[in-house]
Amino acid sequence: MGQEDTLSAAMRDHGFTDLGEGGPASVVVGTDIVKRWGSTSVLDGASFRVSRGITGLLGTNGAGKTTLLGMMLGLHRPNDGSLRVLGLDPVRSGPAVRARVGYSPEHHILPPDTNAQDLVRHIAEVHGLPFREATGRASDALWQVGLGEERFRPIGTMSTGQRQRVKLAMAIAHDPRLVLLDEPTDGLDPVQRDDMLALIRRIGTEFGIDIIMSSHLLEEVERVCDGAVILSGGRVVASGPIAELTGGDRGLLVEVDDRADDLAARLRQRGLVVETTGSRLVITRPSDAEAEGHDLYDAVRDDLVASGAGLRRLTNRTVSLEDVFLEVGA
Amino acid sequence: MTDASAASGTASEIGGARILERGYRSYDGPRLGVRGAMGSLTRHSVQRVLGLKRTFWNKILPFGAIFLAYVPAIVFVGAAVFLKDRFEKNGISVDQVIPSYGEYYLFVWAAIQVFAAFAAPEVLCTDRRNGMLGLYFSSPLRRDTYLAAKAAAVGIVLALVTLGPPLFMLVARAIAGVGPEGLGGFASVLWKVIVGGVVVAVLPVALSLAIASTTTRRAAASAAYMLVTIGSIAVTETLIAAGSSANVFVFDLAYLPLELVGRLFGELPGTILTSAATVPTSNLVIAYLVFTAAFVAFVRFRYQRIQVTR
Repeated sequence: MGQEDTLSAAMRDHGFTDLGEGGPASVVVGTDIVKRWGSTSVLDGASFRVSRGITGLLGTNGAGKTTLLGMMLGLHRPNDGSLRVLGLDPVRSGPAVRARVGYSPEHHILPPDTNAQDLVRHIAEVHGLPFREATGRASDALWQVGLGEERFRPIGTMSTGQRQRVKLAMAIAHDPRLVLLDEPTDGLDPVQRDDMLALIRRIGTEFGIDIIMSSHLLEEVERVCDGAVILSGGRVVASGPIAELTGGDRGLLVEVDDRADDLAARLRQRGLVVETTGSRLVITRPSDAEAEGHDLYDAVRDDLVASGAGLRRLTNRTVSLEDVFLEVGA
Repeated sequence: MTDASAASGTASEIGGARILERGYRSYDGPRLGVRGAMGSLTRHSVQRVLGLKRTFWNKILPFGAIFLAYVPAIVFVGAAVFLKDRFEKNGISVDQVIPSYGEYYLFVWAAIQVFAAFAAPEVLCTDRRNGMLGLYFSSPLRRDTYLAAKAAAVGIVLALVTLGPPLFMLVARAIAGVGPEGLGGFASVLWKVIVGGVVVAVLPVALSLAIASTTTRRAAASAAYMLVTIGSIAVTETLIAAGSSANVFVFDLAYLPLELVGRLFGELPGTILTSAATVPTSNLVIAYLVFTAAFVAFVRFRYQRIQVTR
């Protein structure tokens, strides 16, 4: 019996549904999710799809990020809508989902009198690993997060940065398919934050573990994530690959040597929206339907020739995630 | 993972070749599922209550209570073995001098109560206070399986003082030739010892868990447990003394299990506590089951409503 067969058999024996080799293409799919805490509506028809890789869950404080992570773990039942994690319903198949999901909570409170090695091993064990394997993997995970030398220190003596690393080691020690990180850089100084982000990037790329990390810091999501889901007012206001969110069809950036005003005027005559800053022009389509037929590149080419302006730079216009965040009113 | 050097993550050197970075390796071995998770949680909780892998000061209370629970058993067995001839010379049987198995619990009552007051808060309050509850609920454990594992841990620890000493007494007496005779006699006492130990443990475990589920402070939960048990003694004894029905005794949460176990061992009603003399055994059994079920339901109710992430 092969190792994968053993895993499948063991999961079936214990009531777990085998998630299959490689898992589903979409890691998490939410459809019209509604979640209320008493009279407060936290999620109000949120729909999104999280693909493989590293995904940032963005939103202001209180936007429902932690609630959504809790729902992915099957800890909260949606009032309406459906959620699938690794192809399974986390409420109905909670233990099977949680066996293959790692979680790092937002809080830094951990048992102060337990050493990191014992804690990580214990968490790996409660995720189903036999004692011997849990011991070895706990040690490996702590080395991977840079706490190899510190692994026998009581957690109470560790700094916030080290505790964040312990939480990360706990989340990956049992070799999950998906890791949920709730504000993983909270409380870290800039150097520690850089290290943590590099570590998360490494886990998501080299280790092949899909990651969903919640954050209200746009810059760090932009740095490490492949995709983002932006929550606002209980709804998903934007989601998709970072490259699409920040680039895509956002117009062109043109820089000319001279005659920028003439070029701008010609483009405006076509109904395009042009913002000029010195010799730089940002050209976008207007939101109305009339201008949708325009090919921006053709228009810029023709008007450059007509105006006689010397072209220095022509590129797709990209925006920061912060611009996207503000644009969608999050 | 089984390679020691691999586990430590240190560079290894074979024939001049050095492994500096092992990288991350996926795990394809067996996963033990919910049962494995419960086993791990129970073991971890037992270790915590007993202060294992913790400082010396954390071991004093549990091992002190265990020691106190075994001292009477050691003394009684020693007396039975070494003074047997002297008793018999004076026409006294060993059983007349040494307390019965049912009566034994009166000698270790304090140790049982201390352990019950200490164990459940240690395993329940601590998890809610140090953030472990959220980590457990994000594992294959559900709330019910988490509570079952915790209850098993407290039960195992309490069994060290409710089941261990009578078992020790039974085995030691049998070996010394002052105990039940023959395999049949031994077995007839053994099952009573086991059932008695469980009965003495279960109600305090349920009560202690119920109280511990209401607070994150261990000391407060322990104090509340002692207050409830001692308070129940004071209230029931006062009411009975004031002329209330003897059935009020069923509200004595401390002595109810002991009286029940006394009757299991064939003691006359009231041997354990005179105020229980006229209470029918059926009433004791019903009260015991109702209280235990109520405390278990209360713990479950509390934990179904605890929010760990929001």
